[in-house]
Amino acid sequence: MQRNKQVAMGRKKFNMDPKKGIQFLIENDLLKNTSEDIARFLYKGEGLNKTAIGDYLGERDDLNLQVLHAFVELHEFTDLNLVQALRQFLWSFRLPGEAQKIDRMMEAFASRYCQCNPGVFQSTDTCYILSFAIIMLNTSLHNPNVKDKPSVERFISMNRGINDGGDLPEDLLRNLYDSIKNEPFKIPEDDGNDLTHTFFNPDREGWLLKLGGGRVKTWKRRWFILTDNCLYYFEYTTDKEPRGIIPLENLSIREVEDKKPNCFELFIPDNKDQVIKACKTEADGRVVEGNHTFYRISAPTIEEKDEWMNSIKAAISRDPFYEMLAARKKKVSSMKRH
Amino acid sequence: MGNYFTMIFSRPFPKKQIKLLMVGLDAAGKTTVLFKLKLGEVVTTIPTIGFNVETVEYKNISFAVWDVGGQSKIRGLWKYYYQYTEGLIFVVDSSDHDRIETAAEELNAMLAEDEMRDAVLLVLANKQDLPKAMPVHELTDRLGLHALRGRQWFVQATCAVQGSGLYEGLDWLSDQLSRR
Repeated sequence: MQRNKQVAMGRKKFNMDPKKGIQFLIENDLLKNTSEDIARFLYKGEGLNKTAIGDYLGERDDLNLQVLHAFVELHEFTDLNLVQALRQFLWSFRLPGEAQKIDRMMEAFASRYCQCNPGVFQSTDTCYILSFAIIMLNTSLHNPNVKDKPSVERFISMNRGINDGGDLPEDLLRNLYDSIKNEPFKIPEDDGNDLTHTFFNPDREGWLLKLGGGRVKTWKRRWFILTDNCLYYFEYTTDKEPRGIIPLENLSIREVEDKKPNCFELFIPDNKDQVIKACKTEADGRVVEGNHTFYRISAPTIEEKDEWMNSIKAAISRDPFYEMLAARKKKVSSMKRH
Repeated sequence: MGNYFTMIFSRPFPKKQIKLLMVGLDAAGKTTVLFKLKLGEVVTTIPTIGFNVETVEYKNISFAVWDVGGQSKIRGLWKYYYQYTEGLIFVVDSSDHDRIETAAEELNAMLAEDEMRDAVLLVLANKQDLPKAMPVHELTDRLGLHALRGRQWFVQATCAVQGSGLYEGLDWLSDQLSRR
């Protein structure tokens, strides 16, 4: 019991200052002072912050470098393609942003990848340079601070001659480019601190088109999840954080005609100019209040539209408090006018 | 035609966009410099897996700063990012006497790249608050800056943790670059 408490304390210390946390665990005989044991502790990751793990693995001290190598050895990459393997690897800790740290981590990753998949690359250097190039590509394509987005041609020419002086097959590079473009590397979630369980057993989920709320209205394909009287939408099915959240409280739903087929919309009954209480994440990451006075959605088929409408109807709850509040607001504003 | 005018009128004073690279050895203080420059603009952006890149707005110039580096094997990749680079920020740990030669080699290798031909060089002599810190004139010597030909350069003493010296460095950069 005492021991469990101390381990928990060690984890907390680790999350605040990785080196001190490891030192504490070793001093209290909770962890053996070998790179293998420390690596296993980090790989298991129970209760650990992934950014702290990345910070620890990125340090240049001898011990940290040994732990990095032991940590990479714990990963199994057999029969995964390079991007799949990178996705798996980069989920186990938060990659730091410093070029030198990324360099060491990609070198360690590449040597493990080639060990698991002999014959895929001519040399581990080829694999290491390509992995590094993929991280650069992810940065260029998805970091909002980078304005100049490289084309696939530029990515191909950037990788000229990295295969021991020769070129890698163009198809391979195109596939890598498309994969990263379509799906950025995910920010790893900390253990026990993700929303996965929220979205584990949804009432309904599927692709729908949603009309934007801005001045120029466009249709966007979003992955919708209905659960806990809320409608969540995501850009990709694998996203951990939703792009938008619409609480269904006090909303109504109706079929509507639009240029798109199978449309329905969510609206506030008797109050068509009021903005619906909701939030969304902007492209630059800010979380802002929604700007929709109605949400118009298009389903791929009539059946799906009916199923969604029924499920949403069942999920809409009435809270008299909001109706009361809205009525009071109306009264106040009409009094002001007089 | 219509579109052309809208574009002009909606952006009467386009900000000059300038691409800067930041290099330096491990633990020289690059990340601290980047994040200190960002202070005051508290916007939470979607974090991205990859290299630190920040945009800094200063004196009507928008700087995009990349943390670049790594072993010589991957230098070929960075070349694509060196293109159109107008300035190089080299961060050096002034108190690291053991690695000053390595830092000088790294700097010279970078400046030797063809794509860096026209880039101005700002050296941040960082960690000036530490007791063993080399003063600016000593660093200038040991980095071999006097031997540089046809290059505009400047050494600014900084203490990135406290934020001191950073904007003076940017002042010099924006001065040099706005003259172009």
